[in-house]
Parts: sequence; C-alpha cells; structure tokens
Amino acid sequence: MKFYSVKVEEREELGSYTLLKYRWPDRPVEPGQFVMARAAGYPATLDPFLARPFSIYDYDGKMASLLFEVRGRGTALLDLASTIEVTAPLGKGFRIDPGLGRAALLGGGIGVAPLKILSRRLNAAGIPHNVFLGFADAGPAAIASEFPEAAVATIDGSAGTHGTVLDATDTLEGYEAIYACGPNPMLAAVKLAAGQNSLCQLSVEERMGCGNGSCNGCVVPVRGGGYIRSCIEGPVFPAEVLAW
Amino acid sequence: MREQETGVDLAVELCSLRLRTPLIPASGTLSKEALGEVGGVYGAMLPKTTTPSARAGNPPPRVAETPAGMVNSIGLQNPGVESFLQDLDAFDLGIPIFVSVAGDTVSEFALLCEKLAGEDRVSAVELNLSCPNVECGGLAFCAGPASVEEVVAACRAAVPGKPILVKLTNEGVVENARAAESAGADALTVINTIPALTIDARARKVLVRGGLSGPAIKPVALRAVYDVASVVNVPVIGSGGVVSGTDVAEFMLAGATAVQVGTASFIRDPCKILDEITDYLKENSLSAAELTGALRGVRPVLTGGRDI
Repeated sequence: MKFYSVKVEEREELGSYTLLKYRWPDRPVEPGQFVMARAAGYPATLDPFLARPFSIYDYDGKMASLLFEVRGRGTALLDLASTIEVTAPLGKGFRIDPGLGRAALLGGGIGVAPLKILSRRLNAAGIPHNVFLGFADAGPAAIASEFPEAAVATIDGSAGTHGTVLDATDTLEGYEAIYACGPNPMLAAVKLAAGQNSLCQLSVEERMGCGNGSCNGCVVPVRGGGYIRSCIEGPVFPAEVLAW
Repeated sequence: MREQETGVDLAVELCSLRLRTPLIPASGTLSKEALGEVGGVYGAMLPKTTTPSARAGNPPPRVAETPAGMVNSIGLQNPGVESFLQDLDAFDLGIPIFVSVAGDTVSEFALLCEKLAGEDRVSAVELNLSCPNVECGGLAFCAGPASVEEVVAACRAAVPGKPILVKLTNEGVVENARAAESAGADALTVINTIPALTIDARARKVLVRGGLSGPAIKPVALRAVYDVASVVNVPVIGSGGVVSGTDVAEFMLAGATAVQVGTASFIRDPCKILDEITDYLKENSLSAAELTGALRGVRPVLTGGRDI
C-alpha cells in the first residue's frame, strides 16, 4: 500500500474528537470514502503495526481533513503527530442522485465523520437535507456545532434529545434518501426505520487490515449468505445488500 | 528496468523458472485491486489460496493487531477454483503465476493439482498445508511428516509437469521439510503464520483465534529457514515478517532462494522493499542469486529440529 507523508496543517479539538487537516492535491474524492492513516515515522510505526481507516471528513479541493476519537495507541500517536502518512482515498462512497427530494443524514458517534463532506456535496447538488446526530454524551456531541441546524440526541440525555439518533428524528418517512454512518446496531435500526420507500445507504465501520482488498479482514455479512469487503465494495453499501 | 537503472542483477532462479526479482507476494495478501500499484516489484505472482468449491470464510472479527504484527482468521474465503481460473488473467503481469491450493482431504488437494496441471498460465503450485485435514480429525496437513508426505506424494502424481512448492508452518518444520522433499516437493515455503490468539479483556471475549504474521514472527521464521535450508537440497522460499530490504537480505543469507512479502504490503509500499534490497546488493557488490546462503563463517551444526 502506498502511503503519502503529509504535514498536519491544522489541528483542532472539537469536544472529545480531533480534527486534522492536510493538503491533498485536487483529485476527485467521493463523500464516504476513507483513507488509511497513521503517525509518520517508519520503522517506529511497526508498533502499532497497522494504519487505521478514517472517513474523509471534508475536502475542498486543497485541504482534506480527518475526524477521529483517541481510542488506543494508534489514534493517540496520530493525535500527537505533526506529520502523518495517508493513503489516497479508498473505497466506494455515498451515491448522490441529482434531482432527489429531501435527504436525511444520520451519524452515530464518530460516524458523524463522513457527513460533513456529504452535506457539502448535497448542497452543491441542490438536494435539501436534514442532519441527525447521536452521541453517548455531551463530550462528543460538541461536534454538532459544525453542523448548523443538526438535531442532536445523547444516550445519557446530557445534550439534545434523550435517546438514540433515531429519537432525534420524528420519523424517516418522507425522505427520499437516507444516508447513515455509525456502529452496526445503529445502522440496522436505521435500515429498519427507513423501510422500503427510500434510497438508504449505510457506511459501516469495520476493523481493517490492509484497506486495499487484499486481506479480507473487514468483511460484512450480505443478504443471501457470504461476506463482502468493506474496503473495496464498501464502506458505503445500499442497505438492502447487508444481511442485518 | 530496475537492473538497467542500478546495474544490480536482481534475478533469481527458482525451480528452473527465472524470477526477475526474489520477491513473491505471500498468498492472501495481494488482491487484484492492489496489483496496479505494486505489480513491478515481484518476480512471480501468487494469488490467494483457492479451494475446490467456494468458501464464505469465517465470521468477523477476522483481524486483530498485535505488537509488530497481526492475527488473522479469514477462513480461506474464496470463490472456488472454477471462478478463480476464470479470473486468473487479472493476475497476469507477464511474470510466472504460482497458484496456492488447499483442500479438506488429500484427494481434494490432488484434484486441484490435476486441474492446474493442464493450465498453461500456471507456472507452479503451492500447497497450503496449514488448513485442517477433515479425515484426520481436523489436524492440519502439516501436523506431522507422515501427513505431509501423503499429501505431497498425491499432488506430485497429480501435477507431474509443474514445480510444487510446499508451504509449512513453524511447528515441526525440519521434519516436515524432509518429508515434503522426499515425497517430491520442488521447493519449500517457510513459514506460514504461527497459531495465535487475541483476547479483548474489557469485553472478556476472544477477539481472533488465528495465525500471527508480521515482524513479530521474523526471528522465528529466520531460524526455520536457516535450519531447513541446511538439511534439504531443494530451494527454500523465506516467509514471515519481511518488511524491509534488510529483512530480505537476512532471509536470503539464511539460505532462502526467494522471499515472500505478506503483511508488510499492508503497511508499506513494497516498491520500497525492492529499492532497499537493490541498494544492499549494490553496496555489497552482489547479485541477488549470490546472496543465498552467503553467510560468512561456518554454520553451527544442526542437532535436531526442536533444539534451542
């Protein structure tokens, strides 16, 4: 896998999340695509060994950004890094059908990450949309300030509606498109709530080995049996493809 | 092309095949989607293990990171040999293609070899003996020399016209290497992943029970290559934790004719590994072929497979 060494141009703490910005040449990036990233410094990078997958948070043609939560050594080192190593954007992103009616964007926890660039692209396509964000508590919920007019819910009730991201929505009926990213149980609940009448696309968060389709480590179960890779065929899947 | 740029002869000969570099992707670590970036690095192509029929593979989680390595339990997910052969041209980079095979029984191994015997696109077959033999209570085919000998002999008869590489795990590697050689193996790939387990203490759950790869196993693999190369007459392909050109040099010095690069290609551009081994050879005024077994001094006498 090819990694590119890039300088962290800007680092911002947004509640309990970190946002890193780096220069990226003007090339097409799909909303929902991800990069493998790690703190620079091979061979010190042999432990932790693997780079981590992160959704591209935003991209304006010059600067790309990643949003993440420090969870272990890999993200702790990334959080401290002044130079990081990233791959080119990977995977299949969200499909945007021009002329679509109103869309709902749902993010659970760090699953908020791909919704910023998605919202930007929907605006560019003239597609009206509402954003719904669910978090464990008020700490990570601070990221909601980046999404004007987003409806927020927290599991402990410390910010916004008390409950899950679905509690922040009255109903998902009436939306022609539904876009969601978050933990699998949340995505399964969104799929159920979305019903049959809308184009529902789900971005999964899976552990990855390689990110380029080689190791088959990041698979998700598909309807009808078997597994497919979230790094190549995903991470965004039409909801009906997934088994759960 | 790299030869012309650097004047270093990177080619090696393996089982009468000329490989333009000593690097081979380890089975299951290079998808066709990843070929475009790195194809020029390798001397031979080696796609993911194929089995007689499609396998769905194991339920996730399938990978877990460990210090300087990773544990995987993929379960040989693959579309089966028929689909595999239909798709084989995707792996044609103008270099020899080695095909890794696995079966549940000796006769399944032999059946796969028979099928590949008539395939002109396939230059060699690698037997993945780390999979369970259902006729032996699920013990791996490489669990002991008798089992190794039986499966290799059956494959030898099934594919008389192509070289057979036998991929062995570390446990009992010297005895198994001897058995494979006497049953007609043309080369030995040493070693496969090492049985390993990761546990999530917080959730009190087994995360992944599978095989460990990466730099964590390199010294173990190096010892296995060294010991095996000193007792067999067939070429040894080193495998296990190679991430740098120096690692490649170490494996070849230990006696390997070629080297497999696996997990490393997830974390580095394998072109850099080739650049590094090229630099090493240039600095030492050696060709790749001259590096094999070129340790200085006398080898310590090998007293047994399991001695410390």
